[in-house]
Amino acid sequence: MAQRLDLLDPYEVAQLGDLELVARGVVEGFLTGLHRSPFKGFSVEFAEHRPYRPGDELRYLDWKIMGRSDRLFVKQFEEETNLRAMIVLDVSRSMDWTGHERRLTKLEYAKRLVAALSLVLLKQRDATGLIGFDDEVRTVVRANARYRHWWELLAAVSALRPGRGTVAEPALRRVTDLLRRRGLVVFVSDLLLDRELVMLALQFLRHRGHQVMVFHLMDPGERSLEGPPEARFEDPETGTGFVARPRELRGVYERTVRDTVLAWRARCRAGGIDYHHVLTDVPFGRVLRQAANRRSRLG
Amino acid sequence: MIGFLQPLALLGLTAAAIPPLLHLLGRRRPPTVVFPAIQYLTATEREHSRRLKLRNLLLLLLRVAAIVLIVLAAARPVAHVQAGTSHPPTALAIVVDNSLSAGAVVAGQTVLATLATRARDVLERSEAGDQLWLVLADGELRRVTRATAHATLDSLTPWPVRLDLGTAVRAAVRGVRESELGLGEVVVLSDLQASALSSGPPVEGRVLVLEAPSRPENLGVDSAVSEPTRWTPSGSVIASIGGHAAGRTAVRLEIDGVEVARTVASAGDRVVLEGSAPGSGWLTGIVRLDADELRGDDTWYLGIRASGPTAVGVVTHVGRFVEDGLAVLREDGRIALGNVVQLADRPQSGATVVVPPAEPALTGAVNRALAARGIDWRFGELLEGEWSIRGDLPGAGEAVYRRYRLSGSGDVLATVGGDPWLVRTGEVTLLASRLEESWTALPVRATFVPFLEILVSRIAIGSPGIVHARPGEAVRLPGAAVRVELPEGTVAIPASGAILAPQRTGVFMLVDAAGDTVGVLEVNHDARESVLDPADRTALRAALGDGVEVVSEATLARELFGGARRAELTGILLGAALVIVVIELVVATFGTGATRA
Repeated sequence: MAQRLDLLDPYEVAQLGDLELVARGVVEGFLTGLHRSPFKGFSVEFAEHRPYRPGDELRYLDWKIMGRSDRLFVKQFEEETNLRAMIVLDVSRSMDWTGHERRLTKLEYAKRLVAALSLVLLKQRDATGLIGFDDEVRTVVRANARYRHWWELLAAVSALRPGRGTVAEPALRRVTDLLRRRGLVVFVSDLLLDRELVMLALQFLRHRGHQVMVFHLMDPGERSLEGPPEARFEDPETGTGFVARPRELRGVYERTVRDTVLAWRARCRAGGIDYHHVLTDVPFGRVLRQAANRRSRLG
Repeated sequence: MIGFLQPLALLGLTAAAIPPLLHLLGRRRPPTVVFPAIQYLTATEREHSRRLKLRNLLLLLLRVAAIVLIVLAAARPVAHVQAGTSHPPTALAIVVDNSLSAGAVVAGQTVLATLATRARDVLERSEAGDQLWLVLADGELRRVTRATAHATLDSLTPWPVRLDLGTAVRAAVRGVRESELGLGEVVVLSDLQASALSSGPPVEGRVLVLEAPSRPENLGVDSAVSEPTRWTPSGSVIASIGGHAAGRTAVRLEIDGVEVARTVASAGDRVVLEGSAPGSGWLTGIVRLDADELRGDDTWYLGIRASGPTAVGVVTHVGRFVEDGLAVLREDGRIALGNVVQLADRPQSGATVVVPPAEPALTGAVNRALAARGIDWRFGELLEGEWSIRGDLPGAGEAVYRRYRLSGSGDVLATVGGDPWLVRTGEVTLLASRLEESWTALPVRATFVPFLEILVSRIAIGSPGIVHARPGEAVRLPGAAVRVELPEGTVAIPASGAILAPQRTGVFMLVDAAGDTVGVLEVNHDARESVLDPADRTALRAALGDGVEVVSEATLARELFGGARRAELTGILLGAALVIVVIELVVATFGTGATRA
């Protein structure tokens, strides 16, 4: 029985081939068994109800009205256009790190996730673009719904190299220039940045009517504190650091990480932002499926 | 109050510096770890750095405390526990020093009286379940009851003996340790003379030594010898004065109760007391000092053999110079005419001075006569040359030109050229040269007459049978003696001649089977008892071990039977150290666990 790449260990999957091959394999596995487009309906705006007629798709049936009045109505949409999505990818220095030699760095994981996600979007004729940033915007690929645009995206993603620091606001502001109509913003980052500033920018996107999806990438090695009995821990972006004993701080550190994730999740939920905490040892298919399911419930 | 049984172990407290030193020395540059999520770490460290510092300080203190407690436990601390007046059954040995020095009077009473009072106090504290021993100056371990101990103390007097404190304490400790009772103590009540301490293995167990009482000044007779041993009838006694005192004291010589000489002396002096014996035969002489605070060492007993001038007769021709010299001595009253001592060219029946024959051919007959008399000496070849006389007698250093070679065994009184020249065996004295000017220069020298007097009055007669002993000491008496006359009666002397000297000082006559006195037994005190300087704590511990506690009267009263109420804290400290180690492990292992969610 053939292995589904979307459910394999990301590191092992990455060993199989280049970005394109991995993304295709993952998406192929991911889409297997799905009866409809996983991210459909993001940009379909509701217009009015009309009585149900035989032959109408049951998924457009308004169950709430039927529950209240026992009559069948279907939802009609004012405009049905393809989705416009902009993927914002963090390529800062902190993303270029892994806690184990048999794990992908956060950046490598993110690249493959972005490639797969963009392929899924393009497969359903959604226009997809890309912004890469570190402490400034590094790469911009405008959204396009053509299928061959995927190779352009792949080339841009492949060309991304670890940058310096992390400043997300310029990239997120740039989204507003690139997405004139309401669309989907996918923010892929390790979120090792100022939460308040980022949330402010994401809220702004929400106010502009965009759906926002956040993939919070984290290496499992960042969840707990390991290392020699005493070490100087150094920030790869700033070079600053201090001496600590992992054994003494481990418990408190783990709680801090847990609290941070919970805080991000709570703030995103409060702002109507779809938040996904992603560990880099989780198969890509599970991440995509979890995101698709969440969108399905929200939609 | 806490004391330590092994105080040297406290040196290990320096080990308490190990954790801080390790902490300081272990501060090296740590490795660098690149870690992107440092903002989480920063938040954590900021939040908990104070707690971590406190925890690390606590760990350091716990480690130091554990080392300190273990070292203290190794020093075996003991604490006095007040637990009422009763005590568990205890084996108690009391060493009471009733040696001669304990007879010293301090503040109106003897040291022994004070020590006995303290001993009674100790006994009063004992209870029915206790086992008691008493050790006196003879060092013997006596098992006693409270009643018998009181009776012994009531009748106790200073004995004229020396107490070996080391031996006595070790005997007491041995008795206590052999008791079936688990607890034991030894109480030492002594004037703690430094001269009484003998070294040995350190004693184990609880030994409480009452600190030494103050000491008085004291002078004593260290020794006294008669010179000559046979008085005719005059003579002298040479006495040594010991002790320590700034002043001088009168020194008297009494013979059979009559004072015959007197002088004054101070500590360290040697004095000569000359006099004339008030009678003849064996007399009792006493060298006596003026009474001081310690009376027991103020007298010294000695036996004096007194007689008139020695009766000397010439049997064969022994030379003109000898005959002329004897005439001079007779005229001076130093000798008399008679046959107590005979001068001849061969041994006679009594005391004889054998002057060798001039003709070597006659020596064979002389040698046969010597053999018949049982004398081992023989005259050998005639030697000619020039040698000097060597010996402790008048005429030493004078030249000898001719002499016979003397061979045999016996007392050698003078030598010439390394060979015996004047010898004696029993009552027979032999000269290797005739006393003529062609044989030796002695007859024409001024020392000849004194030499001749000593020869006939002292050497030829021999030393009287005087035996010296200390009270209770084992001695061997002359073979002729069959009994010794004591004031309380006569004591038969076994065939071996070995007896124990009486426990009292004095002069005791030795009598042969015919009832004649053949010698005396002089029993005198040990001169070391006259030196009352006490031993200090260092000397006591050096002699008896570090476990010995020198205590005052008040401390003795408090510490007595304290062994039963003294708790050794070693176990408690080790337990506390164990608890601290466990706490340290918990803090080190789970120190940050309290902050976990």
